[in-house]
Amino acid sequence: MGRTLIDLLRFNRQFATGLALLVVVTAFASLSFFSPYAPNDSYVVPPDLPPDWSYPMGTTSRGQDLLWLLSFAIRNTLLFGIAVATLSRLLALLIGLVAGYCGGLIDRALMSLNDSFIVIPLFPILVLFYFVMRDRMSWGLLALMMACLGWAYDARLIRSVAMSLRTREFTETGIFSGMSMRQILVEEHLPYVLPIVFSTTMNNINWSIGLEVTLSVLGFTDINTPTIGVLIYWANQHTALVSGIWWWIFFPVLLVVMTFIGLFLLAVSMNEYIDPRSRLGRTGP
Amino acid sequence: MSGYPAYLLTRLGQFALVVFIGINIAFIVTHATPIDPVEQSIAAATQFGSTSPEAIGLMRQSLKELYGLEGGLGDQYLAFWRRIAVGDFGPSLSAFPTPVATLIGRALPWTAGLLVVSTVLTWLLGNLLGGLAGYYRRNRALRFAGVLAMAFHPIPYYVVAFVLLIVFGYLWPVLPLGGGYQMNMPRTLSWAFIGSVLLHSILPVLSLALVGLGGWFMGMRSLVSNIVTEDYVVYAELAGVRRRRILGSYVMRNALVPQVTGLAMSLGAIFNGAIITEQVFGYPGIGTLLVSAVYAGDYSLVLGITTVSIVAVSLAVLVIDLAYPLLDARVRVH
Amino acid sequence: MRAWRGMALSLLAMCLIVDARAQGTISNLPRKETLIVENPEGTIKNAGWFNIWAINAGGQSTGLHQLGMDTFWYIDPQKGIDGVWDNSLASDKPIYNADFTEMTVKLRKGIFWSDGVEFTADDVVYTIQTHMKTNGLRWSAPVQINVAEVTAPDANTVVFKLKKPNSRFHALFTVRWNAMWMMPKHIFEKAGDPLKFAFDPPVTLGAYTLNAYDPNGKWFIWQKRPDWQRTSVARFGEPGPKYVAYIDPGPPDKRVIAQLNHELDVIHDISPEGMFTIAKQAKSSHGWFKGFPYAHPDPTLPAVVFNHQLELFKNRDVRWALALLIDIKAVSMASYRGAATISAIGVPPTGSAPEVYHAPLEGWLAAFTIDTGKQKIKPYDPTIGSQIADMLRPSMKDQIPSAADEIAKSFGRGWWKPNPQAAAELLERAGFSKRGDKWFAPDGKPFAIKLMVEGEGRPVMTRAGSMIAQQWRQFGIDAATVVAQGNMVDRRQAGDYEAMITWSVETWGGHPDLSFFLDSWHSQFVAAPGKPQPPRNWQRWSSAELDKIIEQIRQTAFDDPKGLELGRDYVKLAVREMPTIPLMSYNVFTVMDDTYWTGYPNADGAPYTDPVPNWANTKYMMVKLKPRQ
Repeated sequence: MGRTLIDLLRFNRQFATGLALLVVVTAFASLSFFSPYAPNDSYVVPPDLPPDWSYPMGTTSRGQDLLWLLSFAIRNTLLFGIAVATLSRLLALLIGLVAGYCGGLIDRALMSLNDSFIVIPLFPILVLFYFVMRDRMSWGLLALMMACLGWAYDARLIRSVAMSLRTREFTETGIFSGMSMRQILVEEHLPYVLPIVFSTTMNNINWSIGLEVTLSVLGFTDINTPTIGVLIYWANQHTALVSGIWWWIFFPVLLVVMTFIGLFLLAVSMNEYIDPRSRLGRTGP
Repeated sequence: MSGYPAYLLTRLGQFALVVFIGINIAFIVTHATPIDPVEQSIAAATQFGSTSPEAIGLMRQSLKELYGLEGGLGDQYLAFWRRIAVGDFGPSLSAFPTPVATLIGRALPWTAGLLVVSTVLTWLLGNLLGGLAGYYRRNRALRFAGVLAMAFHPIPYYVVAFVLLIVFGYLWPVLPLGGGYQMNMPRTLSWAFIGSVLLHSILPVLSLALVGLGGWFMGMRSLVSNIVTEDYVVYAELAGVRRRRILGSYVMRNALVPQVTGLAMSLGAIFNGAIITEQVFGYPGIGTLLVSAVYAGDYSLVLGITTVSIVAVSLAVLVIDLAYPLLDARVRVH
Repeated sequence: MRAWRGMALSLLAMCLIVDARAQGTISNLPRKETLIVENPEGTIKNAGWFNIWAINAGGQSTGLHQLGMDTFWYIDPQKGIDGVWDNSLASDKPIYNADFTEMTVKLRKGIFWSDGVEFTADDVVYTIQTHMKTNGLRWSAPVQINVAEVTAPDANTVVFKLKKPNSRFHALFTVRWNAMWMMPKHIFEKAGDPLKFAFDPPVTLGAYTLNAYDPNGKWFIWQKRPDWQRTSVARFGEPGPKYVAYIDPGPPDKRVIAQLNHELDVIHDISPEGMFTIAKQAKSSHGWFKGFPYAHPDPTLPAVVFNHQLELFKNRDVRWALALLIDIKAVSMASYRGAATISAIGVPPTGSAPEVYHAPLEGWLAAFTIDTGKQKIKPYDPTIGSQIADMLRPSMKDQIPSAADEIAKSFGRGWWKPNPQAAAELLERAGFSKRGDKWFAPDGKPFAIKLMVEGEGRPVMTRAGSMIAQQWRQFGIDAATVVAQGNMVDRRQAGDYEAMITWSVETWGGHPDLSFFLDSWHSQFVAAPGKPQPPRNWQRWSSAELDKIIEQIRQTAFDDPKGLELGRDYVKLAVREMPTIPLMSYNVFTVMDDTYWTGYPNADGAPYTDPVPNWANTKYMMVKLKPRQ
């Protein structure tokens, strides 16, 4: 496993770039543990200073050093996104693979469940959840809610792949050799499905961050914990874009883009690696 | 394709079931909201002017009677289904007695128009770019375009929309700041009106496309890169078929199938509205309607909009499921 | 490759064409005759509804009540064109009998509806009787509670017989933002159920009629009536703008851009930062004040409102301790960037209040003493207003006034000096204790406060709340802000909060009478815990002393100078008891662009009305505006 990683690092430039980006972002997020300021305090430094040597990312209109604030924000956002993605991947894989493999009544039932989740409009549910939870709202609960709402689309995708895999020869071979459903799903189908899972993971992280930002911009958020969405919420409250405080928006967005491109490059290069035929294709001239 | 009629029937049954479950969930969710439409109306009425506390109690009683909120939840549930059966969503509670259908009817064409155009445009461009990038791996221009699409995709939509607004509305003021069409223009089917609508839709469509492109691009690219290593493609390449022909007739055609699935679902999802688009560009649509309905605790309106959304998305999913076996010959119908 | 080149060329061509056509095309109305104003209601859900008497999501401040409606009297939040009180549809002030059970109104002659029918006492009688018969109209309840009978002895006189004595019954028809408007009898009597009638297009009494509106609720355009002389506002001259458009301009950033593009003449409100940006970049844009703080102080008083039905806040010492922990300078900087007008007393520092309440009570406030049990302190610091001005002078330079009375007008006078030592002593006397660096309540639990703020809809107050919570936290109290996004109104009404940043004090502005809010603070109206509280005693404070003051005010006439003495008694009581912690006036950053229009009201030379565009009082602004070009 280690050897393959090192090989990937040496020969696959995309993998190296992606990993480097992610390492930078993670290192930045871990800076939050060394922050001299509590994340929720405001007016600890002079406000509205553009980036310079003493404040590499500038300061916000609330008198916070953007560098340290952003380290907290990206840490919380990443944790949030990973939590949502992990939970919803598990759900999507479970339901998608089983439905695609079994077919028949089980497929119908699971797909009815799936479709019910797809058709429910997200916004009223999330807002209602917010109204009901009020002061007890927490990021963990929101992550759980969003995971429960975000698996349906990808489950369908996985199911359609599983359906076409079901009809392939190697699946029939596996069944005839006496492999159980669980063995077939995990050992035969999963490797084909994993590349899709990776790209859907990225999509999911992107989606959860996007939804979190949307909710924050509309005001449905816990403003005491900094995340990227809360950062944009405050920047919006202070009309930062028009007031010329561009760094307040620029640096968070830059970090989000870096994270995403890093994950993308990683997913693409690992995709090629996992699929045996494309790997062979790349070792050619 | 034996068994297809049976499949059709079971699938239609599933459609009806899903719609039913979805609407029920929507009913429960909207009525579980702690926001009381009567209190909201009273607050709206008394927010600024002088009020006497005694008057409030009286107002509360009259509004409750007016809005028909006196029966228990069960009565309201039955009344709701009775109305839905004839396609009537009832009066809006925050805009009493205007029917919910009227309010939705005013806003829906704008949302549908904007989102259908931008979804289809984004889908076409994204898939084209993704297919080309997945097939012509070494092409630098395509790789650069790919990175650009990927870079825009994760940027929070709000930021992209606002930056576009600032660039094209203020720094180089060539596009209007907001609205669906020019103020005070009569809404007739004339060239002036159509031109104005198109002009006002450029920024919203552009912002949606920039952010949405990356998603389709990514999907298509990975699909194409999977297909490229299939036997029949390798065979065609060895046999000397032109690369462009392979791309068009062999690779893209097969890669598009799951993407068509995605397109249909996205088209169904447009009935959720594009809330941030409408906010930033002042574009009329049901997103703003939904948000203000939720704030006002207006059960009827929220239910009306979510029902329309549920039916639309279910329909889209139904169409996909019925069409999929027809498109992909390898899928046999159970 | 050819495809790429073709696309690039057509894109370039399109850009050039669009550029050529794009200048100044916000509408097809002549720009020099059009005033474009922001409507803070945003997008109107039910745009085609103009029946303002039915509670509907049709717009009110879409120009409808500013330009189309009229009623007996207006009280100006500032000085008024010709005095604070204006007899609009009435020709004289209200005439009460000796025990306030009867009110007579004399109507003006020569006022016509926009469709040519004359306005008479019949319209008034019809309006009142409709409200008496129909439940669920906006003013049904106050009419049904107060009016026993209404008659019209002649075409220009109306007599109200009241069910019980009410010395301020006329307030129902006195516009302070809005009031009960008059219905056209000849339209409504043919319209069937008044609750179901849309009144589209509206027949107006004001100087404008509806020209066009957007069915999606984004804009409403009003046009000056050709017979504008037959309206009440014509006494002051001809309204300047021929067209007035009320629009939904979008998020605050966008309003700034719109005004910089000269596509929005009057902004209702933006953030302080947006204000500073406009002040820097556009010499044609002005606020209410020429320089800092620019904003117009509305006659509304944001404060820290405690829920008096919670055990935690029943003790006055606790409330005073929390007040002594607040550094109002930091709160002003955090919320308004210093552009705030602070007030230590329970009356907003605007309109006539500074002369009637703030200035005369300075001496009493400076001498006010608190006994903490261990020491006697004088908490009032009269120099805080000028301290804020001094803090801002290095960066804002000559935008900050230097004259003492100007500073008092713009920044306020004094406030309570932060005194953590005294706060600690007060808390200890109340049974609180400090262990380590955290405070604990008398029952042993940690002293925690959830400070509720409104969130996205009121950003400045949210910032103030965050700063106050931070100051309490630094003292050792476990304070946090909770955002009541969208449900602030419900929670406030239900008493579902611990402390919150909102206002329970609103005054007339130009007129010093406090009954506008004070009457509702009587303990008879305090709701039981869990039941909805009627406005405006959100803190649910009951005080026998206050009840006595209120009952005495009820017995005095509206203009009786004795009422001012009673008002000052209320102020002193509120300082002693600290039921809420008053912070500052609600400063609205209304920005006016004089590229196309001049004559806007401002603090320095022309305080003739409140420029905040959703107030119905802004009808007086229309007559003063003259075209620039």
